[in-house]
Amino acid sequence: MMSDILKQYAEVVGQHTIDSLLAIAERLKGRKIIHVNSTRSGGGVAEILSCMVPLSIELGLDVSWEVIEGDESFFNCTKIIHNSLQGMAGTLSESQINTYNETNRKNAERLKDILQDADYVFIHDPQPAAIIGMIPKKKGKWLWRCHIDASSPNKSVWQFMKKHVSAYDASIFSIADFAQQLPHPQFLITPSIDPICEKNMCLEKAEILKTYNNLGIGTDKPIILQVSRFDRFKDPLGVIESYRIIKEHVDIRLVLAGGEADDDPETGEILSQVRAAADGDPDISILLLPSDSHRTINALQSGADIVMQKSVKEGFGLTVTEAMWKKKPVIGGDVGGIRLQIINRFNGYRVQTPEGAAIRIRYLLSHPWNITKMGENAKLYVLENFLITEQLRREMTLLISLDGKGRGWERWI
Amino acid sequence: MGKKIRPFRFMECAVLPLATGISAQTLRELRSAVRGIPDSSIYYHFWGRMIRPHISESEFNNDFASWVNNSIKDIKLAEVLSAINPEKFQKFNEIRDILENILDKRLENEDFLSWKKADRNFYFISCKKLMFKTNREISKLEDLPYAVKKASRQSFFYHFIDGRRRSPECKDDFTQWLEQFPDETDETRKKIRKIDSYLFSLEELKEQIASLLEESFGREDGEK
Repeated sequence: MMSDILKQYAEVVGQHTIDSLLAIAERLKGRKIIHVNSTRSGGGVAEILSCMVPLSIELGLDVSWEVIEGDESFFNCTKIIHNSLQGMAGTLSESQINTYNETNRKNAERLKDILQDADYVFIHDPQPAAIIGMIPKKKGKWLWRCHIDASSPNKSVWQFMKKHVSAYDASIFSIADFAQQLPHPQFLITPSIDPICEKNMCLEKAEILKTYNNLGIGTDKPIILQVSRFDRFKDPLGVIESYRIIKEHVDIRLVLAGGEADDDPETGEILSQVRAAADGDPDISILLLPSDSHRTINALQSGADIVMQKSVKEGFGLTVTEAMWKKKPVIGGDVGGIRLQIINRFNGYRVQTPEGAAIRIRYLLSHPWNITKMGENAKLYVLENFLITEQLRREMTLLISLDGKGRGWERWI
Repeated sequence: MGKKIRPFRFMECAVLPLATGISAQTLRELRSAVRGIPDSSIYYHFWGRMIRPHISESEFNNDFASWVNNSIKDIKLAEVLSAINPEKFQKFNEIRDILENILDKRLENEDFLSWKKADRNFYFISCKKLMFKTNREISKLEDLPYAVKKASRQSFFYHFIDGRRRSPECKDDFTQWLEQFPDETDETRKKIRKIDSYLFSLEELKEQIASLLEESFGREDGEK
């Protein structure tokens, strides 16, 4: 008999999709799968895992999720790695390399028993990537899942990471632009959102209005929203610049809502810059929300008129997916995975500059029927392509494909 | 005694994209790479688009045409490339030949667009296609409409889009199965044959086929 959770998914994606997932999962029965990342909450990876792991278990898979431990110096170091892989200048000092390796070694020691017996190990992003070299007897296949925009990485930092990443059996990137020269297969799988979780479930209008009211944000003017970490690559300052241009023509409110992430030490610095740029404007709301504010984020996205994600670098941009799922047209930076999600004039606009974002938003505000139409397109597009059920289907078939002996590209399993 | 009917067995499939590490920044680089890319890359860029994010309003029918239009801005060439109907070719090398012929002809002009650097590289993507049997099968004509309606996107892709590629006569799996009922299904098969798979999204195609079958021989209670 099907569980209540699977029934809830079936209501969204159809029973046929769930049947199909169950059939694939059957082929992985008895296999131990482990995910390892650097934080239990905050950021896209933690959010994906917090819904993917329970769904996998419901499908009958033996899946667990481990989180590495590290101190401030480790996360400062991994933030440099993260930024450098996204193209920022910088190098790792010898002491930072030691911190990175030593923290990975300690975590490898702690997790050794479960990792060496696993059939499949997913290591997410650069933070725990070096663990692979510190587990002496590996039974299963190891995959490195890169969630960031590594299309033009800083060379010296990539060379450092490449030594670790090359040891994996395969890697997974979100889009082809991010793939690198590596000695193993590089699969391309887009991340996804969970349609039944608190962040993406359908909310009543009264709750949405109450949330805005509780946060002190008036709903008397059109609301433009950007939800993302306070991170330079998300370009919150560019969003404020767009707002100022729009404000010359249309009276709007801007909401910048960011969460805290345990593994992001840069938040405070960027947040100060954003506050300075807002300069006390009463129509700009800057919200630093706890990492578990999923329902609040949901209400903010559901109540916004237009959502922005003006990133200048973006792994995939799950906040784009979330907003699209809530029938919002999204104005996004023309980068990374946003290119895969926003199709100009169909479900939003991709832009290069604050000026570009401003003109698109002004156009939509003066053509509200297009907001409705694009919003409907956006939801359907997510339903067909970017839900957790689809990502899990791809990842399960990937694991099955790794076991195959055949060399052909078409295979019966 | 009546003829024994072969049941229709529903299959599932997954198309897993893989980076090839091969990319092109100009038309000339695209032309040079076409011969060396794996067959699965040709498959992915012509057929695979149907099973990944795309909209039916897409102006062009394959990734080569879309890239030439969006990143090289050579609309004329994009239109010519878009007119390639991959269903006509039984071998991937035949598609490589036609791509090379079109690109060679274009490069003969040696004008600005023939050596212009693209705004974004073309990334050749290969794929692994995994197929597996399900326990869903039907034997009665009247059960087919409901079964198609309830098929997953991937299953429908396998039987309709991929089916046309696998068949020397470009017949999808549903049509081939319907041939067991020659008189009752003649009109329906003709209608299915006329559906241009490149003008619709996968969901739209599924809806169209399901409604067509429903109109022809559907019944309310559907699948067993």
